[in-house]
Amino acid sequence: MVSDSVANASIPSAPYNSKDLGKKKRARTAKLKQCKLDVRREQWLSQVAVKNKCCKDEMNGVQTGKERNRSLGNLEMRRIGEENGGQGHHNDSDSDSPSNSPSSLTSSVLGSNDSGTNFTGSSSSSSSSSSSGGCCSGSITEEEEEDDGCLDDWEAVADALAANDKPENPCAKLPPEHEPVSQMASSCQGTIGSVLGIGNSKPECATTVSRVSGNSRAWRPDDALRPQCLPNLSKQLSLPNSDRQHYGCGGVPWACNNIIPPPSSCPICFEDLDLTDTSFLPCLCGFRLCLFCHKRILEEDGRCPGCRKPYECNPVEAEASVRGGGLTFRLARSCSMITRS
Amino acid sequence: MELNHLVLQASRARLFKELKEVQREKVADPDIQLSCDDNNIFKWTALIKGPSETPFEGGVFQLAFAIPEQYPLQPPQVRFLTKIFHPNVHFKTGEICLDILKNAWSPAWTLQSVCRAIIALMAHPEPDSPLNCDSGNLLRSGDVRGYQSMARMYTRLAAMPKKG
Repeated sequence: MVSDSVANASIPSAPYNSKDLGKKKRARTAKLKQCKLDVRREQWLSQVAVKNKCCKDEMNGVQTGKERNRSLGNLEMRRIGEENGGQGHHNDSDSDSPSNSPSSLTSSVLGSNDSGTNFTGSSSSSSSSSSSGGCCSGSITEEEEEDDGCLDDWEAVADALAANDKPENPCAKLPPEHEPVSQMASSCQGTIGSVLGIGNSKPECATTVSRVSGNSRAWRPDDALRPQCLPNLSKQLSLPNSDRQHYGCGGVPWACNNIIPPPSSCPICFEDLDLTDTSFLPCLCGFRLCLFCHKRILEEDGRCPGCRKPYECNPVEAEASVRGGGLTFRLARSCSMITRS
Repeated sequence: MELNHLVLQASRARLFKELKEVQREKVADPDIQLSCDDNNIFKWTALIKGPSETPFEGGVFQLAFAIPEQYPLQPPQVRFLTKIFHPNVHFKTGEICLDILKNAWSPAWTLQSVCRAIIALMAHPEPDSPLNCDSGNLLRSGDVRGYQSMARMYTRLAAMPKKG
């Protein structure tokens, strides 16, 4: 609502922001886009588990922030109202800034809010330097991202999740992922605003900048590999995930038993299946196992423990997923396999 | 080195879980009693009851499991400690000829399910791939009665508590 107007209003003011950084960082955009896509998919895979991972949340925050502007304005306003006065204030300043030439006052407010509420005060200082660029490009990029980035996302996601979701209306899908993220989202607006003080006008800049802000927060150990490795992975993972629905009702008789509630522990090593494992369906028969065991089996006879047919159709997926797991001893194991065989 | 350690750890973890499971399921399957060597998780023994309506009925047969480090990717090695007259069990060594212990092994199998498979094998001998030729020949020549009486005799001799 408010932010909508912000975005629209701010479009004309785009050109007069600095572009050098944007060019430099444009290369990373694609990567980040993938990353966001990935993140959102993962969230759908399990709409709960994302809460803990701050990086992902942050990135999702960026996204959902944008989409909220479009579709969930009410909710956002309510949320923001709940958050604190500062946040609401921040939004107001955002809306004001593009139309009126943004003053240093708003920027300072912005900065203080950010640092106070959710940012650890690291980059909020930047807001003072080039405040006008910050505010404007912040809202602009949010809007434009929506156009080029999110729609792609939605299409891809819609394909992936066609089985059980209604991909056309993001609103229907958003709330579950929106809830846990909402606090973060507010922070992300802050981050965009503040970090954009560094000055970017391109639509890509928003993404890169948010990426930067993510980095400034430091990836968590388990997230460290995410930007490089995961995007492809979860794109693939989500497909079997949707496939699973079909196979679950389909022909393989015992698969029906096993699929509908995915086992909580790997039938091979009896260890608990984590999120990635649960969404990993290496064989059409529906037999699930953890990535570690799957990898070991591939190195041995490579047959599915469930149906004893060789794993064939998606070895790439398996490879990717193991790689995504970032297991360092994978290489070592494959070496040993060579020596063994 | 590191690798071996990992593999070993995996197999050990799995065996421990199986042990736990077995102890929980003891009541569920009264025909199978699996237990693990106190000092070595890779050595198990099982007591299985001979299936009813077979010459092995009433006997209790002891199995010895030697579990490889690559378990469960590799099948356990199982043999009969109790003498048994069966076409697919070596009369002297107790070695068992069973596909799921060889090429048809699947890591999804457990020691418990192996025991069940062996019980099934006792009820349904496979005379075409004999380890005990005498027994296999009896069956292949159609002398079911001869096979059954021999098997019953050995069951009585070796697998039943001595009477008196």
